[in-house]
Amino acid sequence: MTTEQIPAIEVRHLTVSYGERPALLDVSVTIEPDQLVGVIGPNGSGKSTLIKAILGFVRPDVGEVLIAGQNVDRAKGLVAYVPQRGAVDWDFPITVREVALMGRYQQVPWYRSLRKIDREAALEALDMVRMSDFAERQIGQLSGGQQQRVFLARALAQGADILLLDEPFAGVDAATERAILEVLERAKSAGKTLVVVHHDLTTAAEYFDKLILLKQRLYAYGPPRAVLQEELLSQVYEGRLRVFADLTTGKGA
Amino acid sequence: MDFLLQIFWAPLTETYFQKALIGGCIVAVVAAVVGCLVVLRRMAFLGDALSHAMIAGVAGGYLVMKLLFGLEAHAPGMLLGSLLAAVLTVALIGFVSRISRVKEDTAIGIMYTGIFALGVVVVSVFRHFIHIDLMHFIMGDILGVADSDLWVSAFVAPLVLSLLILFYRHFQLSTFDPVMAASIGLPVLLLDYVLTTCVSLVVVSAVSMVGVILVVGLLITPAATAYLLCDRLDRMMLLAALFGVTSVVGGLYLCVWLDSAGGGAIMLFCTLQFLVVLTVAPRYGLLARWLRLRRLVPQQVVEDVLTTILRHANGTPVTVLRQHVPQPSALPRALRQMTQDGLIQEGEGGYRLTETGQTEAAKVLRAHRLWETYLESIGTPQEELHATAHQLEHLRAGGTVDYLDEKLGQPRLDPHGKAIPPRGKNGNNQE
Repeated sequence: MTTEQIPAIEVRHLTVSYGERPALLDVSVTIEPDQLVGVIGPNGSGKSTLIKAILGFVRPDVGEVLIAGQNVDRAKGLVAYVPQRGAVDWDFPITVREVALMGRYQQVPWYRSLRKIDREAALEALDMVRMSDFAERQIGQLSGGQQQRVFLARALAQGADILLLDEPFAGVDAATERAILEVLERAKSAGKTLVVVHHDLTTAAEYFDKLILLKQRLYAYGPPRAVLQEELLSQVYEGRLRVFADLTTGKGA
Repeated sequence: MDFLLQIFWAPLTETYFQKALIGGCIVAVVAAVVGCLVVLRRMAFLGDALSHAMIAGVAGGYLVMKLLFGLEAHAPGMLLGSLLAAVLTVALIGFVSRISRVKEDTAIGIMYTGIFALGVVVVSVFRHFIHIDLMHFIMGDILGVADSDLWVSAFVAPLVLSLLILFYRHFQLSTFDPVMAASIGLPVLLLDYVLTTCVSLVVVSAVSMVGVILVVGLLITPAATAYLLCDRLDRMMLLAALFGVTSVVGGLYLCVWLDSAGGGAIMLFCTLQFLVVLTVAPRYGLLARWLRLRRLVPQQVVEDVLTTILRHANGTPVTVLRQHVPQPSALPRALRQMTQDGLIQEGEGGYRLTETGQTEAAKVLRAHRLWETYLESIGTPQEELHATAHQLEHLRAGGTVDYLDEKLGQPRLDPHGKAIPPRGKNGNNQE
């Protein structure tokens, strides 16, 4: 594959505002394909706004977002989104298989029924997140980490090459976190580009190929070692973190 | 004068009117006070369910008393029956929604229609034994209030009111934050049951007056009306009680003057009262909302006025301002507001900037010209520079302008060759 030249996501001089406070100011980031990229920054630093901009949900004041070289408005379907765990009715009468199948709905017009390929794609996606054994379970009967993986499978079934995940590690235990991470890495080796909003600085170095350090503007973007510098972090987190010493001596990396 | 005396005083001399007034007011006060909790807990649907379920209890009570003791239409028996039916309904609803995946609103819908249906079937099957007028039950008859109804409300009202007053803090906390309430050892479940029992008692005593369908209105409408006016639960309860009383008084007069059904007139008056408050309430009313929006001076207009006067250097007449401000309709208000805030002064030849106004205007201009320079640096076409920068110049918070300045290497001139005002003396450009 010679897609090396075209970046998966290119954010150019992006400024987005709510009122008189810019949520993002002059952010430019180029994300190459086949990367696992973490977005870090304090609360209210514009992480979610960046994700929304890449999905084409917000209108930028200045700048543009290109998905595989196309303007984001024309690139619907190239990007899949995995939401935070909260907003779903877990009693809803639906099985794991059906949730994964929902990923195919975009491709199937209303007058046609789902084809065999769609079912296979859904099953394949479940395979990739190691949830195919649970295909007939109702979603409420899964653990938190399993639920997260099912929704990841749904995004994979969409066939998008770019996956955006909003805090997939929120509220899961360490073992589950490993399981989800393993799935993310499998998706990466299958040729996906993943952008993950992440909160935990102590694991950031270990999990991601590159990090985006954000607080309204882009403070740093690059390999974890270059981003997790004490000076940068204390600027962004305003000196409120004690873990800098550990992070920057390279213990995690 | 005679006429006024006639229409207001004459009904008061009638016994039926006095009874209706007293009974109605007592019931309305308790209903409104309990209703506050019902509204805040979003249980309005439950009130409706309880009133419907009562019919099974009334029929059951009637039947039992008649068959066992040979008593015809024994009021305490029917009252006890309806209370039992109400409590049974609540218990069944709780049971179904807790034990199955069916959610509470559906469980309420199933149980109360089921029990109401049971009541209707029983009444019609045993129509030779039971003489219950279904129509009376559904519509109520406040003008024909029986003494037994008055006694019931005289018993229920003090009981419910004293429970609510004694345990006010318990109900307040368990409504606001049940988890915290449980954590400090309040019997949350018991409180729930006490409250639903209170609601049942109130509903039972009110049904004979306004009927099954309207009773829920008596419960929630005065409370919701008070909710629009208060930010404290105790005041909300007081005010709700007051609105309950005015509904009954106003409704009864309405009913006498129009010669209409009593329950209907009361609820109609109550609803009109709500609509009036909804319109004129000082903080949460529609009128207040509209006025607030109208009074709001858009920041964009303020900034446009500032920069126009700054560019004009001398006194700027309104005619010039009107040309440079895209929303001239907001201009008079903006000028008034800005004069009040000490940004501008009216003098000979038009408006001038005060010292504060000068500083503010310089900030906006600095932001505008720096944004223009930035836009040029990222390759925005020349002809779009001004318009886009005009949109962006309001983005100044959080060190935005200083960041641009630094990034661009502290330029002196903007793309049009105009000077960029230097950074203000008092440090940053934050508002």
